[in-house]
Amino acid sequence: MNMKDFIKDLDFSRKSSTVVFLIAILVLIGAFIWWLNIPFIEDIFTNGTIMLIMVLGFQLFMGNSGILNWSYVGYVGIGAFASAIFSMTPALKALQIPTMYPFLISLHLPFPLALIAGALVAMIVAALVAWPLMRLSDSVGAITQFALLIVINVLLSQWSQVTNGPRTFTLGGTRLTSFWLVLGVAVLVIILVYCYKESSLGLKLRATRDDRYAARSSGINFVAVRYVAYVASAGIGGLAGGLYSHYILSITAASFYLNELFLLLSMLVIGGSMSVSGAFFGTLLVTLLRQGLRQVELFLYKTGFEASGSAEIVVAIILIAFLIWRPNGITGGRELTWQSIKRMLPIASEKKDPISNNLKKEEKA
Amino acid sequence: MKSKSTFTVKALCKSFSGLKAVDDVSLRLETGEILGLIGPNGSGKTTLINIMTGMLPKDSGQVTIDEHDISEMPAYKVPSYGLVRTYQTIRLFKNLSCLENAVIGAIGVGIKRREATRLAAELLEELGLGYKMDLPAQGLTFRDQRLLEIARALAAKPKFLLLDEPAAGLNEEETDELLALLKPMPENKNVGIIIVDHDMRLIMSLCNRLHVLNYGKTIAEGLPEDVRKNPEVVKAYLGSAAS
Repeated sequence: MNMKDFIKDLDFSRKSSTVVFLIAILVLIGAFIWWLNIPFIEDIFTNGTIMLIMVLGFQLFMGNSGILNWSYVGYVGIGAFASAIFSMTPALKALQIPTMYPFLISLHLPFPLALIAGALVAMIVAALVAWPLMRLSDSVGAITQFALLIVINVLLSQWSQVTNGPRTFTLGGTRLTSFWLVLGVAVLVIILVYCYKESSLGLKLRATRDDRYAARSSGINFVAVRYVAYVASAGIGGLAGGLYSHYILSITAASFYLNELFLLLSMLVIGGSMSVSGAFFGTLLVTLLRQGLRQVELFLYKTGFEASGSAEIVVAIILIAFLIWRPNGITGGRELTWQSIKRMLPIASEKKDPISNNLKKEEKA
Repeated sequence: MKSKSTFTVKALCKSFSGLKAVDDVSLRLETGEILGLIGPNGSGKTTLINIMTGMLPKDSGQVTIDEHDISEMPAYKVPSYGLVRTYQTIRLFKNLSCLENAVIGAIGVGIKRREATRLAAELLEELGLGYKMDLPAQGLTFRDQRLLEIARALAAKPKFLLLDEPAAGLNEEETDELLALLKPMPENKNVGIIIVDHDMRLIMSLCNRLHVLNYGKTIAEGLPEDVRKNPEVVKAYLGSAAS
């Protein structure tokens, strides 16, 4: 499919408002924080926006296919390590990770290319392993993805010649991931993930999520449709991983394992996994919540009360509560659109009931 | 000017651990016809449908549309050759809007998105679901869900439509509506319809021909009037309902 058809396929007149809103909110928050010029808050924002990119990539596959994709965080890790290996100078690598394979030491790319290369490595790994897994659904699908995460994690944490094994992998040098770079990538990824979801390919994947038998008898090859999304999702994860490693500057395999996955999962589920808006607001909400709770923890610590880890407990309990009472998250699985905002406003002249609204539209037409 | 297609099933067989669910069944249908596939519960109708649409592998025999043998294909390729089905237990994409549900039918057979949206919207209007286009399918009434499933199937521009108990769960009034909808469809859409149902009133007033199965075997076929008089059919299936 060429790009022109792809764009035409989107019903822009009605739906493009979502992308505009999400980008506007993100950029406004970013600009405000830049203006505040408080390093501590800038750090929270940059970290949060990297998380946002991760959650968007997570949503791309999991939200549209309905398969709990445990392995996702593994691809984030692959992207983080791979891009670091590409971007570090040979001299630095020889110093930091003396056990590394000589051919890896000799690799060197400028930072932006290294980021893209890291994402490509994640996509290649996904493309190689995913085909047989894509026919598995439901709990079987989730279990195999979990097993795959274990494989990736063991490789990342034990392959000394590549990742420095269980020891910390220090990138050295200066922090290459900047505030504005992360913001720019996040904007691009919002557009990408949303366009994918609304494209024919994304619509087909959402159909397989709701009923794969009906999808099959409607002419959809669900294995192929899932495969494309899985590889794309791994690519976005890898890109986010690269941004993360060049921001944090020292990583270990443990940074890309269950803790991180749980955080991504809670952001996506609390927001509402079926929509891009859900991924966005879930990340925003959980980030604010965790930062708030961390301040409380610090305060308690100062008063002599040990409460570390309580933020995780609170997030976990909120996740459980959402799954019980609002399984489609705060967005209910829908997108934030101009129409949905109008409907929420109390002054809206039209009735809330969409049926009667549509009836009215019909009458007018 | 309307193109004619032929759907044929030749000597189709399928056993489940020794039990013959479909035993040497042959049938033939042209576009523009409605064929009723009937038989008591467990007579092999659903198995036959599943094999015809590629959901189940056959043991032997052939299912062809014109010159293409579709029984060797994976299920997702069958709609592109012109055969689309609906389900007895309605299967919709419940989180997608009605419009998106119908659009899937069209893009599933390779129709471009714009054309698919236009076609889907047209069909929904035609079936009286136009004002519900943007609503998620899961909120629809049972009747509307049935109609939406039919709209999705029609959006694939099928040559042949397989309706698995479309009247199940509908009341008498709704069944009449369905009848009025289906009756002119072969002519309007240039489609051949195979319909499975237990509602004899619907079957008798809708079908040009009937095909009766019992224990996986064909026990009668022909015009509805003839079939209902066939003593074997009366014995096996119609019973008191026919008299």
